[in-house]
Amino acid sequence: MDAPQLAFKERAAAALADGALKIAIERTTGNAERKRAAAVAAFPEFEAARARGKAIKDHVIAHLDHYLEMFERNATAAGAQVHWAADDAEARAIVTRICLDAKARIVTRSKSMLGEEIGLPHALADAGIERVETDLAEHIIQLAGERPSHIVWPAMHRTREQVAQLFMSGHDPAPAADDPATMVQSARRILRAKFLGADVGISGANFLVADTGATCTVTNEGNAELTTTPPRIHIVTAGIEKLVPSTAHAFALLRLLVRSATGGEMTQYTTFHHGPKRAGDADGPEEKHIVLVDNGRTRMLGDEFRAMLRCIRCGACMNHCVVYRQIGGHAYGGTYPGPMGAVLTPVLDGLAQSRDLAHACTMNGRCAEVCPVGIPLPTLLRAWRRRSWRERLEPGSVRAGLGLWAMVARRPRLYRLASRIGVRALRLMGRRGWVRSLPLAKGWTAYRDMPRPSGRTFMEQYRAEQAGRRTPE
Amino acid sequence: MPATLPDPAGPRVGLFVTCLVDAMRPGIGFAALQLLEEAGCRVEVPQGQTCCGQPALNSGDDRDAADLARQTIAAFEHCDHVVLPSGSCAGTMVHAYPELLAHDPAWAPRARALAAKTHEITSFLVDVMGYRPQGRRLDATATYHDSCAGLRELGIAAQPRALLAEVEGLQMRPLEGNDVCCGFGGTFCVKYPRISDAITTEKAQAIERTAADILLAGDLGCLMNMAGKLHRRGAATRCFHTIEVLAGRADGPAIGEEG
Amino acid sequence: MTARERILAAIRDSLGPRRAAPQAVAAEAAALLENPQATRPRLAAPDLAEAFALKATALGTTIDHVPDMAGVPAALRRYLDAHGLPPALALQPAAELARLDWDGIATRPTLAPDEPVGLGLAVWGIAETGSLVIHSGPDNPILLAFLPLHHVMVLRRDHLLAHLEGYAAAMQGAAQPRNAILITGPSGTTDIEGSYVRGAHGPGFLHVILVGP
Repeated sequence: MDAPQLAFKERAAAALADGALKIAIERTTGNAERKRAAAVAAFPEFEAARARGKAIKDHVIAHLDHYLEMFERNATAAGAQVHWAADDAEARAIVTRICLDAKARIVTRSKSMLGEEIGLPHALADAGIERVETDLAEHIIQLAGERPSHIVWPAMHRTREQVAQLFMSGHDPAPAADDPATMVQSARRILRAKFLGADVGISGANFLVADTGATCTVTNEGNAELTTTPPRIHIVTAGIEKLVPSTAHAFALLRLLVRSATGGEMTQYTTFHHGPKRAGDADGPEEKHIVLVDNGRTRMLGDEFRAMLRCIRCGACMNHCVVYRQIGGHAYGGTYPGPMGAVLTPVLDGLAQSRDLAHACTMNGRCAEVCPVGIPLPTLLRAWRRRSWRERLEPGSVRAGLGLWAMVARRPRLYRLASRIGVRALRLMGRRGWVRSLPLAKGWTAYRDMPRPSGRTFMEQYRAEQAGRRTPE
Repeated sequence: MPATLPDPAGPRVGLFVTCLVDAMRPGIGFAALQLLEEAGCRVEVPQGQTCCGQPALNSGDDRDAADLARQTIAAFEHCDHVVLPSGSCAGTMVHAYPELLAHDPAWAPRARALAAKTHEITSFLVDVMGYRPQGRRLDATATYHDSCAGLRELGIAAQPRALLAEVEGLQMRPLEGNDVCCGFGGTFCVKYPRISDAITTEKAQAIERTAADILLAGDLGCLMNMAGKLHRRGAATRCFHTIEVLAGRADGPAIGEEG
Repeated sequence: MTARERILAAIRDSLGPRRAAPQAVAAEAAALLENPQATRPRLAAPDLAEAFALKATALGTTIDHVPDMAGVPAALRRYLDAHGLPPALALQPAAELARLDWDGIATRPTLAPDEPVGLGLAVWGIAETGSLVIHSGPDNPILLAFLPLHHVMVLRRDHLLAHLEGYAAAMQGAAQPRNAILITGPSGTTDIEGSYVRGAHGPGFLHVILVGP
């Protein structure tokens, strides 16, 4: 049901023209921004905690093979079956095969961006399996036939009124009113039956704990536990960068994750899943499968994007991004939007398809400022720009223009001459202080005026003044 | 004109005017000269300077950016300090030059040495020279936008405010979202004009809500963007670089006004 | 090559040949946890129970105090009465609870899909966050904490830990249950325009009976 792939600029233009979208984005991200600021202000140790979080992630990344093997050993000892997938297709195949082998009819899924990344929703549909998204936001976008527009609030692009319309037609019986509480109750009733009737439950993992073999999920709704407990089989799909050495390390990162994501201090449900049901256990799945997914991550380990493997998927970068807050998540065109998405999408979808993302950034640095694990997002975006330039993906006109400019800028005397001419030409195009239309910078003058240069360049005036100073009195 | 003569014992400061100030608003360069001399510096304007290289750097064209870095280093490394009326260009010299030239054994140490003595002007005046303007008066209300590069790459926030607080009669009004990008972003604003416009429009609205007479900021690129938008919207806000006010030059034409 | 071999080979290729010994990695990992007080929030109050209560109630959890386990049924009765609920509930099949005097309250060991009230024991409480820890087991179905609309938890005061690390330490080397869950407030969601609604999928009400002098 995805819309046909439009160019980034067209998607962005459509988003900018959508007044309801703007309201929805501002409500969610504005709220998230204020709450995060309050949570950080109430936690004076935040800076030190961030340094520790970054160090923990760097440590794991530097010993990734060691921790993967340790995790595999301990998860297996706890009774889980560990699978490895080099890419999205392998991951989809593994999950689908487990579901088909189990003759699963209904699969419940607890929100996982990795699941979106590997295209699990489509794969399950193609296999003829009924997929039930249980996170409320995922439930909303499943009804709408959409993809997530935010990694923490996947349905943030939908206003309450739009959600009400979806529920009125998608819920039987329809909710009695369109206030959030009534609609949440309606979803609770619809999904409760699905939880208890599912054959397989699929979750992601916020952390993979190496020394216990646990997969850790954090949710506020409680849908992860309802997804993973009743069915006969629990499948976890997780990126290999989710490893932490121990439970205590997970807690150190959790403090950062929750504050950065929602401005809370702790998620309502923080769950460590160790293997399947034990002998005598009152409930739980009989099988637990863990699919460890690479999908470009080992490639990032070897290049300038290694720091991106620290990402704990909190969404703070997009909540604080001026571009994201204007165009929302769908315009980015990938699984992950915002600054972190602009770094990851070229890894996943190829740079040629997504070169716009690295450029559609003002490099203001606010994303890096709020990143709880200190990822230098602007630096990484600049790395994509560098690669795009090197691979000649930039338009010829841009390359030619910049080449000419650089040729002149490398020659100070020529540069002064060019500036003098340019300034005079620009002055001729304007009147009463402003230039209202510039043929070579329509992007500027379509929306704002260009101040007319005040006259002679600084260098002209300065040199004249210096000459005057040298004159004997 | 400088109010005081250069102190012969003062530090030797190379002023990097920046390409935008050179072309679009030379008065900012003269304000810088004046303030630096008042602060006791011996100021020179090396003629080997053109642009810091940011357009190339931000386009991914590292080779041209590195060439311009070398040119700038060669032009300024004899100075005790390098000072710029721009947090963005200063940030490039402080952070990007050492990275661009990190693998060039001849130039890497020179890039690091230059970075260590490069300053944005308000931070130089306050943190290095301990300068405070004296006898300046401007009866107006003003609001201040924190330009992103200066704020986040160099930590410029308290210094311009401390200096502005010395201007008698000037009432500062808080700007909602003062640390949020104005939507300029260098080439971003012409490559993605609609997105840029949406961001800039919100910034202009916030500025208009302050009802301040004057908008101040420390980077001409951001100022041209905001001034151009305010003018297109019909707002009467006058826009100046911080140091124009500090140098007592706000009695002249604001950005976009004819002298 | 299997995917496993390919992934591990790609990692080793990127990380290079000079690698630390497992003991050195373990030492480095341990060092990353040193001086934990520098990177965690201070407790909301010096007293653990008070700190726990401050954090838990801020999230909408309600708290009652009883001096000993024998006081639990009466406290539950107070809660049911206050909410106009009938004297019936799903009770965790734990010996410590079964031996209490539930006279006048109909207790069941089973769970209905729309169970109104469930009562269980917390293994630990965590003062830093106001969290309650439950462990799955033969005498503790995990769904007891999720299906009921009202989830009542009995927490012994001497089972309060100061910080999250305390729980990690308590479980160090211990047998891990299938599920260990830190419950911090009732189930909630902000997925519709960021407005907070309680009782998303799990309990809409979380009540703690804190036991101890």
